[in-house]
Amino acid sequence: MDKLKLYGKEFDSRLLVGTALYPSPAIMRESVAASGSEIITLSLRRQSPEQQQGKMIWDYIQESGCQLLPNTAGCKTPKEAIALAEMSREIFGTDWLKLEVIGDDYNLQPDPFGLIEAARELVKRGFKVLPYTTDDLVVCRKLLDVGCEVLMPWGSPIGTGRGLMNKYNLQTLRERLPDTPLIIDAGIGAPSQACEAMEMGFDAVLLNTAIAKAQAPVLMAESFKLAIQSGRAARNSGLMLKRQTASPSTPTLDMPFWQQTVSAGKEGESV
Amino acid sequence: MGRLLAWRLSEKGHQVTLFDSGGLEKPAGACHTAAGMISPLSELFHCPLPIYQLGMQSLQHWPEWVSQLEQATGTRVDYRQKGSILIAHPQDRNELLQFQQELNAKLGSDKHDQLQWLDNKHLRDLEPELDRFDQGLYLATEADIDNRKLLPVLLKVLKQNEIEIRENTSVDCAPKAIHTKNGSEVFDLVIDARGLGAKQQISGLRGVRGEVMVVETPEVQLNRPVRLLHPRYQLYAVPRANNQTIIGATEIESEDRSPISLRSTMELSSALYSIHPAFAEARVIETRVNCRPATMDNLPVVEREPGLIRINGLFRHGYLLAPALVIQAETEISQLTQATEQVS
Repeated sequence: MDKLKLYGKEFDSRLLVGTALYPSPAIMRESVAASGSEIITLSLRRQSPEQQQGKMIWDYIQESGCQLLPNTAGCKTPKEAIALAEMSREIFGTDWLKLEVIGDDYNLQPDPFGLIEAARELVKRGFKVLPYTTDDLVVCRKLLDVGCEVLMPWGSPIGTGRGLMNKYNLQTLRERLPDTPLIIDAGIGAPSQACEAMEMGFDAVLLNTAIAKAQAPVLMAESFKLAIQSGRAARNSGLMLKRQTASPSTPTLDMPFWQQTVSAGKEGESV
Repeated sequence: MGRLLAWRLSEKGHQVTLFDSGGLEKPAGACHTAAGMISPLSELFHCPLPIYQLGMQSLQHWPEWVSQLEQATGTRVDYRQKGSILIAHPQDRNELLQFQQELNAKLGSDKHDQLQWLDNKHLRDLEPELDRFDQGLYLATEADIDNRKLLPVLLKVLKQNEIEIRENTSVDCAPKAIHTKNGSEVFDLVIDARGLGAKQQISGLRGVRGEVMVVETPEVQLNRPVRLLHPRYQLYAVPRANNQTIIGATEIESEDRSPISLRSTMELSSALYSIHPAFAEARVIETRVNCRPATMDNLPVVEREPGLIRINGLFRHGYLLAPALVIQAETEISQLTQATEQVS
């Protein structure tokens, strides 16, 4: 079977979804179910985790039975991220962590320096760190050096829906880190973009806004599920390479096939 | 909800006793914290259709009810039906289009007349202070009410109607009985509208933290509620008497009622400042924090059993939904009364 393997665990679904921004918790849970996702992220930053004031909604999310991936959204320094990670581990009983250290308020771009520093410390403390990073190869390598086993490069800034903005960088990551699970995280706005990421060979896609803010989130969740399955199947099937010239794959009725071959050879210079 | 229902029932000749866990002058509930917007279309952007439908029903009742209250008490309640305006900064223009798309999808394109695009000139005609925005959306049917005036007026009319009121009294509600620390009392019918006080009785009821600020400046005069659409922050600014503006509101999945955070203060303030720079010199008069009672589908619940009606989960829609839910309760009670009369 074509399983997604992350930190020694296997998953059938290659779609990870967030739990924020939905019209209601009930629609969030329905959408998660429709997405088929087995890993869901959740944020504690603004919910006074030290007093467990968000317990009701956390319990509701946990009832989904998915692998929880608490995040450090909103943290701007390694110190903040590490403190929140420790609280998350205590509350949810998981050492899985989506690490975010934000360097720019407006586009929520990761701070690569703070990210690496926090990742190093959290790996030492036994966390299974999935860092949200830019698509910079050197930063990604450093994250692997400090012990991350999975990387989550952005497609484009969080919530923009712009898809895969820098395909050259992303393709480079895929080619240069062939054995590292790479999850496209953030910026995916349409199922076609998620499908494209999978066709490019990425291992999974993580998204939130595109589903949560859709007019029909449950239906959109299902369409992302199908797109990701489709993209993965296409990747495994071997995509044809693009060609310069259109070439008929079946003879046309009014032309003998040998003429077509000669003609194609003249045009395409390949026969 | 409790005061409004008590007033309506007393007007219909019922003998009513009102219990309030807080003080009457400064109620503990979200009703005292809210900005009092009655905006079914704006809310439809984030909410399912029933919120809009109930909200439209409420819009029909508020003007008449406010008029009755003002006549009965001789005190003015600032109810204003001048619509509301949605704006976005140029780089966030798609938020307005997204809003329109969402409404069209939920209401059908035949409801276009409820939503009017404004260019810079028409925007300035309605709200001269918004001259830095090139366009906006106008939702003409929407209204707002000054809850800080309404609540004392309701209290006054309840006293005029000789309703028995027990303030600072926490209760447990049961069919035909109210339990307090001093004992139990029997009634024909109990209506439980305690919000988060009924958490143990309403499955999935949770609190959602909301933070609001009140600022004051004579330099910016808005005529109606204005909402700023932004990919990450949502801001409303509701003008009130005495050059005051209520700005809000955060929505955090937490039952924490501690004071407003610095982050929320900054987000609300900077969003307001971006509407008009003269807000920079506004004075912060008050900050308010409370938890809205919400169900897991964010829809209100009306549960019935013999001798007990529970109304809850009004979430951030207290003033939007209250009249429609009061009418539902009145209908229930009227049917109950008729059935009792037929039996006797």
